[in-house]
Amino acid sequence: MTAPHTRPSFLRLAAAAAASVLLLAGCSSAVGEQSSGSGASGDPVEGGTLRVAATTDHVPAAAFGQSSDVGNTLIGLVYDSLVEYPHDSLDAQPSLATSWEVAEDGRSITLQLRDDVTFHDGRPFTSEDVKFSIQTFADPAWAVQVQRTAAAVTGFDTSKPHEITLELAHPLSNILDLLDIVPIIDSETYDELKEAKTYNGTGPFRFTGWSPGSKMTFERNDDYWKGAPKLEAVDVQVVPDAQAQVAGLRSGQYDLALGVTARDVETLEQDPKFDVHSFEGATQQQYIGFQLENKDLQDVRLRQAVAYAVDRQRIVDELFRGAAVASGLPWSPSSPAYDEAKGQAYARDVAKAKALVAELGDVPVLPLQFAAGQPAGETIAQIVQANLEEVGIEVELKPTEFAQMYKQLVGAQFEGLWIFGHTYAQYSPATLTVSAFPFNAAHNASNFTDEEYLADSDASWKVADPTSEEARELFDRVNDHIVDNVWLTDLTTSYPRLVSTSAVHGIDYSKRTELLLDEAWKDQ
Amino acid sequence: MRAALATPKGVAGLVLVGGIVLLGVLGPLLAPYSPTQQVPGANLVGPSAAHWLGTDDVNRDVLSRTLAGIRVDLLVVFLAVPAGAALGMLVGLVTSWWKVTDVLTQRVFDLVLAFPTLILAIALAAVIGPGTTTIVLVVVAIEVPVFGRLVRTSLRTVREMPYVEAAQVVGARPWWLLRRHVLPNSLEPLTVQLALSMSVAVFIEGAMSFLGIGVKAPDPSLGSLLKDGTRLMYDAPFLSLGPLLVVVLLVLGLLLLAQSLSEAHRD
Repeated sequence: MTAPHTRPSFLRLAAAAAASVLLLAGCSSAVGEQSSGSGASGDPVEGGTLRVAATTDHVPAAAFGQSSDVGNTLIGLVYDSLVEYPHDSLDAQPSLATSWEVAEDGRSITLQLRDDVTFHDGRPFTSEDVKFSIQTFADPAWAVQVQRTAAAVTGFDTSKPHEITLELAHPLSNILDLLDIVPIIDSETYDELKEAKTYNGTGPFRFTGWSPGSKMTFERNDDYWKGAPKLEAVDVQVVPDAQAQVAGLRSGQYDLALGVTARDVETLEQDPKFDVHSFEGATQQQYIGFQLENKDLQDVRLRQAVAYAVDRQRIVDELFRGAAVASGLPWSPSSPAYDEAKGQAYARDVAKAKALVAELGDVPVLPLQFAAGQPAGETIAQIVQANLEEVGIEVELKPTEFAQMYKQLVGAQFEGLWIFGHTYAQYSPATLTVSAFPFNAAHNASNFTDEEYLADSDASWKVADPTSEEARELFDRVNDHIVDNVWLTDLTTSYPRLVSTSAVHGIDYSKRTELLLDEAWKDQ
Repeated sequence: MRAALATPKGVAGLVLVGGIVLLGVLGPLLAPYSPTQQVPGANLVGPSAAHWLGTDDVNRDVLSRTLAGIRVDLLVVFLAVPAGAALGMLVGLVTSWWKVTDVLTQRVFDLVLAFPTLILAIALAAVIGPGTTTIVLVVVAIEVPVFGRLVRTSLRTVREMPYVEAAQVVGARPWWLLRRHVLPNSLEPLTVQLALSMSVAVFIEGAMSFLGIGVKAPDPSLGSLLKDGTRLMYDAPFLSLGPLLVVVLLVLGLLLLAQSLSEAHRD
């Protein structure tokens, strides 16, 4: 008989198996410790390509949905908005709009526009572009979270090319949020935008190409109205693995990494070869959502038990390494809706959680979804699972692809519990409650409906001044609805943190968490 | 086979595989903690008397998780591979006797073997979801054509032998011939392939769990432990050491066994 394999084939397989095992375990350890930064920060230098590592790739159908790192960077580099918020307040500053005036009845706003701005293809920017951009955001096909606010702009006076009056269905407490969020897009290349072939904006960088799953590239816009950027080009590469981003940063492959974990940030900030950039003012929250169409989750006592059982402070300490705040409400201290006491209404209380579970009797096993491949989601999910087991609630972890999570969020299609991130709490509170998918009073990801919540949310939306006493009272009631009904419970509030080599300077960001590089430069 | 196992390579292989099997079997008795227990305050603690292999980023004892992870690999090695081998041999024996079924079966085998293992695993995980069952099914699916084709080769050789032809002339039925002559004469190469396939199965479990389509969290497997270790390579390199050592020794042990069996077979 003939043996099916010869000796050399054994050796080859042995070598291949051993190499594969070592590769599995150690592929990202094979990195150099070469510094890519000089550590010096002298005068700004022109030229150079900034190489950025981003975790999630652009999704053309959700280009305006803040759904990916690459997509967010695209919006931040290629487009401008009418106004810009400073990091630490909601005091809007001019951008493409030089000034604005809200009518006394709050039903319209008139903006003066810059007359020296052109799109990347050379066409002048006019009031028609503002109208087109807001109407695009009002189109439900784009599934943007501020769609309701954009749709509340019911009329446009574009009779003058550099002035526009927006007529509003009712006073909007968050109209300036909308004007900060909406990028000014070009109507003449809209079809190419939908096909991800061209992104023609007025921003500091021109879009030059996108290879799906690989990278997106940009070049300097020499005609930028604020002055040409110093960097010659920006290459944003898709690097889903956080450890690979750190390895690339250390080896000099990347200048800037967008997806570094808190633990690696903690390590890298001790190293003078790297700088950490904290996006203070652009908050992000992690939360647990509850699908109320799941009959097992319709009893509020079970949702309250979950909210009491979760150890938020442990997530802050162990996952975010202290760089976050544990709170059951999303607001940061600068928000007019901030209420520290209500934010701690569900501070960890195992005894209360157990008592609520005891009242309910047998609790079935509940599915808990989280974004697969994202270490933060998986870690939080495992902590939550252990917390809930302690009080008698069993959950089955269900890792779900990020794109599928986003689809289920938009379509309100989660099975049971889910862990995900949200934003928008850094804006006027009404932007969160009328816009963000988890909170939207008219239609949210939990399928939670409540006439009083809808009424108070809409009322707070229709107060022209979000800092007025009237608005604050309404926000207080909105907080009560969130605390009492628990269709979701926030876990932590944190700021995105990026890491660059110390050769990179002038990195900035928008309130929308988009990277801004018009002032950035790199040591040669 | 006994002679093969008496060689230095065979003994070394047996010791390595036997030792790891023993660790897996006695794991629940040896482990200081439950593999999913989160120890308060023990976040990424390095190796110490309390935690010999340290703790992970969710405060779990890595030694306890490694011992539990071994059991998953043993399940794959000693259940999935033999199951796939048995099924493959049965299909190969039965269908190879007649030309029509032989051609049809070989084309199906071609189809399965043409699929890269991990693509097949990802496709299966997409249909039935990740988990230990998926790993077992993938291994079985991969081993069926391997063993089916191997036994077919033996059958085609043996059926040309004069004593088989003589048996056919005196009216021996196909099933009797398969059982009496073909299978016994195929056993040695099949044994070698079995040991070899077991080492490949360890690799498949590792790769699937590493890609997130294997054992579901919070349950551990050697592959998922390596994945966690890689994620925290800079901060906690000790996380990978235990599971890496076990995988390397288990694969090495199985390969040594396969090699010694092969050499004995050739001699």
